[in-house]
Amino acid sequence: MDTIGSLLHGFAVALTPGNLLAVLLGTFLGTVIGVLPGLGPTASIALLLPVTIGMDMVPALIMLAGIYYGAMYGGSTTSILVNIPGEAASVVTCIDGYQMARQGRAGPALGISAFGSFIGGTVSVVAVMLISPFLAEAALKFGAPEMFALLFFAFTCIGGLTGRSRARGLLMACVGLLLGSIGTDDIQGVDRFVFGTLYLRDGIGLVPLAMGLFGLGEILYNIEQREDTGSVLETPKNLLPTLKDWKDSAWPMVRGSLLGFGIGILPGGMPAVASLVSYALEKRVAKHPEEFGKGAIEGVAGPETANNAATAGGFVPLLTLGIPTNSVLALMLAALMLHGVTPGPLLLLKWPDVFWGVIASMYIGNVMLLVLNLPMIGLFVQILKVPYGILSPLIIMFVLLGAYALNNSVTDVFVTILFGVAGYLMKRYNLEPAPLVLAFVLGPMLENNLSKALIMSRTGSPLFFFSRPISATLLTLAILVLAYPLVWWCWQWAADRRKAQASA
Amino acid sequence: MTVDRVLGVGAVFLAIPVAAASWGFGVGSPKSPGAGFWPLLIALTMAGLGISLIVRPGHAQPSDAAPGSRWGRFGIALGTLAFYVVALEPLGYLLATTVLLLVQLRWVENRSWRSSAWTAVLTALISFVLFRVLLKIPLPSGVIPLPRGW
Repeated sequence: MDTIGSLLHGFAVALTPGNLLAVLLGTFLGTVIGVLPGLGPTASIALLLPVTIGMDMVPALIMLAGIYYGAMYGGSTTSILVNIPGEAASVVTCIDGYQMARQGRAGPALGISAFGSFIGGTVSVVAVMLISPFLAEAALKFGAPEMFALLFFAFTCIGGLTGRSRARGLLMACVGLLLGSIGTDDIQGVDRFVFGTLYLRDGIGLVPLAMGLFGLGEILYNIEQREDTGSVLETPKNLLPTLKDWKDSAWPMVRGSLLGFGIGILPGGMPAVASLVSYALEKRVAKHPEEFGKGAIEGVAGPETANNAATAGGFVPLLTLGIPTNSVLALMLAALMLHGVTPGPLLLLKWPDVFWGVIASMYIGNVMLLVLNLPMIGLFVQILKVPYGILSPLIIMFVLLGAYALNNSVTDVFVTILFGVAGYLMKRYNLEPAPLVLAFVLGPMLENNLSKALIMSRTGSPLFFFSRPISATLLTLAILVLAYPLVWWCWQWAADRRKAQASA
Repeated sequence: MTVDRVLGVGAVFLAIPVAAASWGFGVGSPKSPGAGFWPLLIALTMAGLGISLIVRPGHAQPSDAAPGSRWGRFGIALGTLAFYVVALEPLGYLLATTVLLLVQLRWVENRSWRSSAWTAVLTALISFVLFRVLLKIPLPSGVIPLPRGW
């Protein structure tokens, strides 16, 4: 079956009234839930999964995909307007997006975010369509050493996020790694840093941690500050980005789409990782990197495009190999299996309706989200325009509610508050929370793959990683990224000593 | 002592017990890493970074915060959070949330009694209906008896 013919068949499936309704409902619900701080795509999908069991297979999957997309879109909105990430992938958008909002440029930020997401998603869907048939083969070559190398490379890019002090940022990242290692170890089953509690056996949840650090932390900081913050939220006037905005965002969006898709299709590629790497990349290639963190539109355009591209890209390993690359896709895998579908290389052959129908509806979903989001931003802003004095307690309530809703556990609420205090302290003393959160997410995967790779190597020698072409390339890149500042640091240190000796 | 030096010292001090605990988990060997292998790596890296911060701290950053701030309000806000954790399940969502919001609106945000009371009660109710009834997320009912099926 040629690709175009299959895609047309997919559209025929997707454009039936029932399936169209499924897309619409899914994207709308997803966006609304994504806007609410505290409930991310995983929660939304988990909640709506039982509902879809009653539905037919194709509409069910289509609706779930719509929710996923919508939640990603919605998460960006709260990141920009209120500096609270709706979910992990929007964390990076908070950095520059919120600053833009504070400068009265929320409109262009939201606009570029919506367009960027649309472009990223669309490019990806086209790419998925073209690549899927070939990709099953190549991805089989990605073993643990390659995964480790990729993740390590992403980790070194975290260094680019650290603003003022690299060592501080890397230290925060180490704390994140440490926090990520709490819990029962995957391979050996040993309880690490659990202090005898049942709760910690599962490790610290990302959502309480992120909501606490970013959401609560910011609010507590604002409460403590003497001046009244006033209403940070004015109605974004121009939702349309200016020509200059478009010009500045064009390349970031192109890079974001390619990067996002590339990361999304790899096992372990999460939209959060894509947005992080995109941010680091944009910062490195920018003409004015010092603008980042203060409202650089490239810092919104790139990551937003990348995370949507990665979202779409994540469907490739799911549908072609049966490998979910994050928890949302894991739930979708469960949904597929409940409907009797076994994802894998045979999916294309046995259930072409499912495969091409989902692809086509993703494209439709992208269009719908663009159409929905731009006019509805006004609605969201009206909601958020309520005075900050009222908004602040409400957001606190949402955050705590969201924390509780995860597992019906007051302990999650407690953890969120704990990290809220930590977030406040970090803000107070100029420590960056982003590297911590991102290392927290990457850590377990890094460790897992490292352990597996070391066992594979049979010698435990690091040279093993360089004996394989893909991991060798990635590791070399990572080492270059790390080495450059180290060399610079040593040089600076020597220069300082020379100066000190000269003036002595 | 700049913040960097404090951080550096803290990092080294944290790295020590972590390394010790990692040893206890069993480090294994590079060809067969144990559960303690990874945390040990982290601990060593932290110690290294800590030392580099002590030896060569970055420039002292003036924090954005103005010295002398609204500690009273901050303390009350923290207090409400602590209250919520303790009271959520025994008192139930509706009551605990109403109290949380009321105290914050009235004493942290300095709004009037009327506005605070109305906002608190309405928000608690609406959120309850939205989340527990419509989205079917279980929220503790605590001391308020609710009709069955709610």
